[in-house]
Amino acid sequence: MEITMWDTIVSLFRGYMGTGLLMIWFLAALVYLFFREKDKNKRILFVYAPALTLLLFWNPLFAKFVYTYVGDEIYYRILWLLPVTIVTAYLAARLCGALAGGRRLLLAGACAALVMLSGSCIYKNPFFHRAENLYHMPQAVVEICDAIEVEGREVMAAFPGEMLQFVRQYSPVVCMPYGREALVPQWRLGNPLFDIMCTDPIDVEALAALAKQNLCHYVIILQGRPMTGSMEDYDYVLFGTYCGYDVYLDTTVYRGL
Amino acid sequence: MKIVLGMASLGLWLAVIPLCVGYLPAVLAGEGRRVRPVYWWLSGHVILWALFEWICVPLILTEDMGEEHFSPVVICFAAAGLLLALSGACLCLRGLRRGAWSPALIRGGLSGNRMGGSASTCFFWILAAGLILFQLVMAIVMTYWDGDDAYYIAVANLAEASGTMYKKVPYSYGMTLLDNRHGLAPFPIWIAFLARVSGMPVAAVAHTALPPVLIGMTYGIFYEIGSILFAGRRERLPIFLGFTALLVIFGDVSIYTAENFMIARSRQGKAALGSIVIPMVILLFLRILERRREERHPGAALWLLLAAAVTAGCLCSTMGTFLMCLFLGILGLCGAVSYRSFGLLWRTALCCLPALFFAGLYFAIG
Repeated sequence: MEITMWDTIVSLFRGYMGTGLLMIWFLAALVYLFFREKDKNKRILFVYAPALTLLLFWNPLFAKFVYTYVGDEIYYRILWLLPVTIVTAYLAARLCGALAGGRRLLLAGACAALVMLSGSCIYKNPFFHRAENLYHMPQAVVEICDAIEVEGREVMAAFPGEMLQFVRQYSPVVCMPYGREALVPQWRLGNPLFDIMCTDPIDVEALAALAKQNLCHYVIILQGRPMTGSMEDYDYVLFGTYCGYDVYLDTTVYRGL
Repeated sequence: MKIVLGMASLGLWLAVIPLCVGYLPAVLAGEGRRVRPVYWWLSGHVILWALFEWICVPLILTEDMGEEHFSPVVICFAAAGLLLALSGACLCLRGLRRGAWSPALIRGGLSGNRMGGSASTCFFWILAAGLILFQLVMAIVMTYWDGDDAYYIAVANLAEASGTMYKKVPYSYGMTLLDNRHGLAPFPIWIAFLARVSGMPVAAVAHTALPPVLIGMTYGIFYEIGSILFAGRRERLPIFLGFTALLVIFGDVSIYTAENFMIARSRQGKAALGSIVIPMVILLFLRILERRREERHPGAALWLLLAAAVTAGCLCSTMGTFLMCLFLGILGLCGAVSYRSFGLLWRTALCCLPALFFAGLYFAIG
């Protein structure tokens, strides 16, 4: 069945609002303010403009225009023009502020509980971690890059997948034969060397051959990863072990030292 | 010692210089007494971002293979920023001497906020401040590993280290041609600039130093918006701020929300677009509408500041050019119809010119 523009918009809106409750409170606030807000400026910014934005977002013709000329992946960002936080907080403050003393506290507490139950705490997101250092990088990346950097030139190193997105953020002189693009399936930019690094057990002969072909000075492997042989059999020496990762140095490649 | 100097330099470029620059539009609009330093600071950042876009983009586009245009960007922007800041500081000192404003005015404003009267207001102020402070601390001690940083922060790192902008492949190795989509929105180069002038590593600037400042800017904007919304009822302002903080903390309903971007990816330009530039446009338009209601002309400075915010949106993201035009179109239309004022519409349309220029540039260089 063909996916229409309308289906795409519905799917984007669903994806954007998640559980949907915070969006429902926002829409309810819009309706409330439409009937009760007397201030013209607040009506312009908090009622008319969001309503017009929503009308445009839901318009398939407009969506088609944006998809054609601006791009499809970022259509959801039109929803950033909705002042969800400002309008919801404004209404909560307005309602609470209309009461006094204990009743104000009670209503504020109820509204806060509603927000907490409707939303999701960002710090519980699994991608949040305690920072290990000033750079907010995994300590292993910092220590390995510091160890393998050579002053005045670039070095090439094959890193395991979990480190790819960090290496070039930390060190501009550490190069990799494959980067984050190898991790993103949609980009379809697979790399044979990376594929070997991901196999279990690692085929050492193939790894060594491909690493040499890519002019890698170093190969970094998580300690304890099953391997079909020893890297030392293919002109590599163990350069060091950092935070549980073995760093192998290719003795046949010139490092400029 | 190097870290102390680096922090001092970052403090200069993220706090003092924007504060001084932001005094310029305030005084040009005749608002020296009416606005608080937090508004100067926000305006200053917006002006500096706009300035950076105008300086950086031409130098990116004219950089050929083998050329290194990052240092000229640093020199030109530093010179222009310092010149504006010095002008602002001189005007500020002159205002102090002439009594246009005084530190007592700021103290008065702050104590006015604190007092609002009752114990419950005081309680709400403490709660709001606590929630905001919590987020600023979490921005330093916690980290969100986002894959897009592998592009943006690496671009900044490579520009700072090699002197070339967008000419090195950020993910792996080697040289590449300019990617127009990213090159026209050089927010990462602004991060590289901060790293260069502070001598701090790019990763530390982007992940540790910047997030609290950028999150702080968002709350500065919320504070200013709240101050206008509750002008006659200041006791509601801390409740408003507390709820904005709570909605941000619990705004992780999906990875697409502006709140998620604000906390998790604050160092990325698109996050600054959603959580700083768009709310800033709301704040500026609110000020324009307030002036219109009082039947006072908003003044060229306020409109120029809105145009600067539009340009800042272009610095943050290429999508910013489109979003800024769309947003100003919607706001201008709603404002013009409500006030039956054609002037509001065409002035808002004029503010879109920078975005139209950068959009045209994008399509022209294809």
